[in-house]
Amino acid sequence: MNSFMGKVLRVDLSTGRWEAEKIPPAVYEAVLGGKGLEAWYLYNKIPAGADPLGQENILALAPGALCGTGAFLTGRWTVACKSPLTGGWGDASCGGLFAPAIKQCGYDAIFLSGVSEKPVYLFCDGKTVELRDASPYWGLDATDAENALHAELDPVCRKRPCVAVIGQAGEKLSLISGICNEGGRIAARSGVGAVMGSKKLKAVVLCGARPMPCHDPEAVKALSRELGRKLLKMSLPNGLGVFLGPGGRMMGHLPYLPLDGSMTALMFRQWGTQANTSLAITSGDGPIKNWAGTPKDARLMDLFYNPEQINRIESAKYHCYSCPLGCGGRLNIRNRRYSTFDETHKPEYETLQAFGPLLLNKNLDSVLQINELLNRAGMDTISAGNTVAWAIECFENGILTREQTSGLELTWGNTESILTLVRWMIDREGFGDALADGVKRASERFGGKEYAMHIGGQEPGMHDARNDPQLGVHFAAEPAPGKHTVGMAIQYGAMSLCDICSWAPPATLHSKEKDLEDTEEMALISKANACYSMLTDGAGGCYYGEMMGVHMWKLIEYLNAAEGWSFDGDHYMEIGERIQTLRQLFNIKQGVDPAAVVLPGRMRGEPPLPSGPLKGVTLKNKEQISSHWRAFGWDDQTGVPLPETLERLGIPALTEVEA
Amino acid sequence: MTKKHPVFDYLNCVSCGICAQACPVSALAMRKEGKSGKYRNVFPEPVNDRCIGCGMCARACPMEVITMEEEDDDAG
Repeated sequence: MNSFMGKVLRVDLSTGRWEAEKIPPAVYEAVLGGKGLEAWYLYNKIPAGADPLGQENILALAPGALCGTGAFLTGRWTVACKSPLTGGWGDASCGGLFAPAIKQCGYDAIFLSGVSEKPVYLFCDGKTVELRDASPYWGLDATDAENALHAELDPVCRKRPCVAVIGQAGEKLSLISGICNEGGRIAARSGVGAVMGSKKLKAVVLCGARPMPCHDPEAVKALSRELGRKLLKMSLPNGLGVFLGPGGRMMGHLPYLPLDGSMTALMFRQWGTQANTSLAITSGDGPIKNWAGTPKDARLMDLFYNPEQINRIESAKYHCYSCPLGCGGRLNIRNRRYSTFDETHKPEYETLQAFGPLLLNKNLDSVLQINELLNRAGMDTISAGNTVAWAIECFENGILTREQTSGLELTWGNTESILTLVRWMIDREGFGDALADGVKRASERFGGKEYAMHIGGQEPGMHDARNDPQLGVHFAAEPAPGKHTVGMAIQYGAMSLCDICSWAPPATLHSKEKDLEDTEEMALISKANACYSMLTDGAGGCYYGEMMGVHMWKLIEYLNAAEGWSFDGDHYMEIGERIQTLRQLFNIKQGVDPAAVVLPGRMRGEPPLPSGPLKGVTLKNKEQISSHWRAFGWDDQTGVPLPETLERLGIPALTEVEA
Repeated sequence: MTKKHPVFDYLNCVSCGICAQACPVSALAMRKEGKSGKYRNVFPEPVNDRCIGCGMCARACPMEVITMEEEDDDAG
């Protein structure tokens, strides 16, 4: 026995037919579950040239291999499809409780094709699968719809259902919309919400109660217990958060120091990802003023976005399934200025940066309100923030007029205008309609392309590649471009991958200038980062498990215990490489030219910033990406995987499994 | 007549929620407020009378903080 259910659920929304499809064991061994299983399936099944918002696109929802085995930090579910935002591979992942719910229904993934005539929701209790009328819920925001579904179904279901649902943004086919669960936790990226909306699928409701298998549950639990006991003994002093902003000022000028993974665990447990905001503002990690500003432009903003201030209004902690850290929380915002809600999920760092310093908005209360509005609408805060930043810069430079902005005075830090614009984007009202499809579409319509920060159509996460050139490689070379969770220097420093992988270089204390160079060592680091990230996604692991390092979160040991295998780290890294190569092949099949996916000039440091911690930095991004591709065994000019690489990874035989 | 019910050692619980999701009848929820060391946290607790005493929660718990103890059914 291993950890897989052995089959997937296929549902055709056009006909209402469904079937359980068995997956050959060789596929699981080659790509695991989660994003790996999705990459294999979608590469095989979505025809070239498929309309992302049409019948042929397939929306996939999948937990990873380790979900339900007792392994900690393995509660992520991944959504994948052809992205309407980029035209290539799209994926987004989310925590909450939905990942185990898929397995408890008896499946390793759900694949949804076709388009329903009327709004429906998918109901599965592990025995029956039904498409039910969703017209009472269509038009509701994601949280209200989830609550309404619970009110109707909780009394009649033996096990409380888990619900993945779109809000108004997905219904209105916003290309920057995502899919939510647990009151606004969102799988936000790649426009996956629009794909669900295009299928007229409001929600997926799961309430199965099947046991989730595992080869050696006692061994898996022992690994978790070891980690849990370590965490119980660790803590940070109270009030330390106020020093993160000043600390960032120093960090901006220091060399890279490999951190111990326990630092990650401590920070995320104490404050959540929002711990990074004040640090990012002062260190050069966080983009300011649409990626053109410096910490000087955001002076004192580290005080406004101080993590202790946000923790003060936390009413309850929130843990995703199988997570001992609990980076999430609920905030009481009942009496905050601008608030029309009682509470909100604790905003992530990405949201705070995107609607704070990126727009020079000093008002934390407005960001809390925007956080809840966008979580309920199911709209990606990263993409929305980048798009509003473009609009402000265009307005400030006369590219957009007051007539075009429906009368909005879009100036830097103009809190009221930013709030209004967000509401309009959600409702596709006035000027907001043009912005609801992201910054690429908006700039194609109105101009100001030089201010439009997107990579291959997707807006980048809130970390500056000029501060971390490794990130710049992944921003552009990643098959779902613009994602910030695939690799970074600080992440590599914490992971100790050289201890599980024979070819991964050791992380060292080094100057930031070294990371700007195009060397074989840097290429191996970026490859190792990407392979481990894909492996983690195939296992359903959390990014913060990765960040703890291989000696705290023992992914290789977890997988061997859960699957009954005895593979070494090199073998598992090759699984990550295979997943990444399948995603790249998906893009080639769909006509994406990897060489045309580049960072905007500003993000490459062209021209370089005149002051601050990133002063004078220009990236050798194109050269580093070439070397990254070469390290993967892909053509270093075109990014197309070479035939010998496909043979080495067994991909032709794997696709024959499907044939 | 007796049946079993879960008893929690909250001091060693890490609030991972594995027990609550393992429960086939959703008799547990992560609602009990308390502390993990110095941190405020939420812990599992029975939230209805659905518990069937199956022990799935205890078997799933990696931290081994759940024991199934007998209770007198008449005492509720």
